[in-house]
Amino acid sequence: MNCKEFENASALYLYDELRGSERAEFEAHLAACAACRARLEESQRLHRLLTDCPRPEPTPDLLARCRQTLDEALDHEELGWRSLLRGWMWSFGAAPATRAAAALTLIVFGFGLGWTLRPRAAALPVAGGEPTQAGFNPSDLSNLHIRSISQVTPDPQSGGVRITLDAERRVTLEGSLDDPRIRQVLVDTMKGYDNPGIRRDTLDALRMQTDDPSVRGALMYAMARDPNAGVRLEALKTVQHMECGADTHQGLLNVVEHDSNAGVRAAAIDALVQHLQQEGMDDAVLAAFERLATSDRDPVVRMRCLTAVRRLQGNG
Amino acid sequence: MDGICLELTGQLGTSQPGEAEVERSLIRRAQRGDRAAFDALVRRYDQEVLRMALKIVRSSDEAQDLYQEVFLKVYRSIGQFRLESRFSTWLYRVVMNVCYDHLRRQRTRGEVQATENEDGQPDFAQTLTEDRPISNPDRALTAKEISGRLQAALTRLTPRERMVFELKHCQGLKLRAIGEMCGTSEEAAKNSLFRALQKLRVDLRDLA
Ligand SMILES: [Zn+2]
Ligand SMILES: [Zn+2]
Repeated sequence: MNCKEFENASALYLYDELRGSERAEFEAHLAACAACRARLEESQRLHRLLTDCPRPEPTPDLLARCRQTLDEALDHEELGWRSLLRGWMWSFGAAPATRAAAALTLIVFGFGLGWTLRPRAAALPVAGGEPTQAGFNPSDLSNLHIRSISQVTPDPQSGGVRITLDAERRVTLEGSLDDPRIRQVLVDTMKGYDNPGIRRDTLDALRMQTDDPSVRGALMYAMARDPNAGVRLEALKTVQHMECGADTHQGLLNVVEHDSNAGVRAAAIDALVQHLQQEGMDDAVLAAFERLATSDRDPVVRMRCLTAVRRLQGNG
Repeated sequence: MDGICLELTGQLGTSQPGEAEVERSLIRRAQRGDRAAFDALVRRYDQEVLRMALKIVRSSDEAQDLYQEVFLKVYRSIGQFRLESRFSTWLYRVVMNVCYDHLRRQRTRGEVQATENEDGQPDFAQTLTEDRPISNPDRALTAKEISGRLQAALTRLTPRERMVFELKHCQGLKLRAIGEMCGTSEEAAKNSLFRALQKLRVDLRDLA
């Protein structure tokens, strides 16, 4: 190794990037050449200066700010769109449902069997009971760039629902809640769509179908995870009043324990008390209440759990 | 974005046995759209990401932007992450890309990087615990002054030189890993490092 090669190698030496033989040659030259020893010392001083120089550490305050803005940004993310569209493709790939109830509802809407995708401005008149796919073609949908959902309108009378989307052009999907594909869209909207107002409307539509497992799943999901406390609360009220299932109490209990909003937690406590008063004791719930009554971080929740325990034990 | 597999020095995240399984399960859940799992993943790495961002940019506001951009990118593309790769490596690559783009944008805009924040203080100096002299006592330069000089010198590096320097000098990564992370060869990374050190040597000659 000559002096020129040594100079190039010295940075690698300081960063411990010289391989065995290179390193041996480097050290041999170092031992033999005073000029290069001096030069290496100079490099070492720069190295140390760059290392000594204080580096900023994130303050807890900055970290907290970062986390909060990220949280808000994620709330607005459109991840929901991908899952929505995926669910859609899947549902269009399936054979159309021909259950009597679905057909009935769709006739009420004036459309053919299955569901209809059409530009809202150009409502197509549909001939008598004749099944019509008004211009619908699944490949149209896959090419459709959807921007947002502008409306979800359930019709409690007919059990139908109308979903209006802003795409390159505005389109409306109409169908019965009995149609699993419509439910799939609603379930995906409930779980993934970024507008809390739309999620609330979707909740209203789903509320009419709580005997469907995927709808129940979406309601439980919204109750546990919707970013909007108002939507969580409404989902909770729906869960409270739908038929009690194997996971209902645990779901409510999770809300009591983990929800970030004190009002939602309180509502979950009340919902469980109501269930237990109607159905009889659930030891797991009672034990959780007893634990929370002494150990919860929030004094209001502690008090409410204590009251609940007293009421339930007075009852039993 | 491909999840290439590199052996890193373990600066990001932990890799105890069992831990890896926990992390894989968080990733799987996040890939299915589970926001709580994604949040947990963020919490595992975000301090280190922020620390890296603060090394690359001047102000905490910019670092906050980079932080957000990194994790939004991760959120959008986590579905493409392959579980057999190391998540920390993949995340690290996202960080590098985001920082690199940031530095390039700054350059193209021809921004002269502010050396002071709105209070007229060098921004980095706010985080120093004390204003102690750390170099040649004859010059009695304060940590604050040295920090200011170093920051000024760093802004004269090209984005790639800057990234390579930070990854090598501050993160202690191997040049081979840096090359892969920045999408070039080990040799190219080495040359960038040489050029960076050469520029820093010239700029900081009187301090060293
Ligand atoms: Zn020599
Ligand atoms: Zn019950």
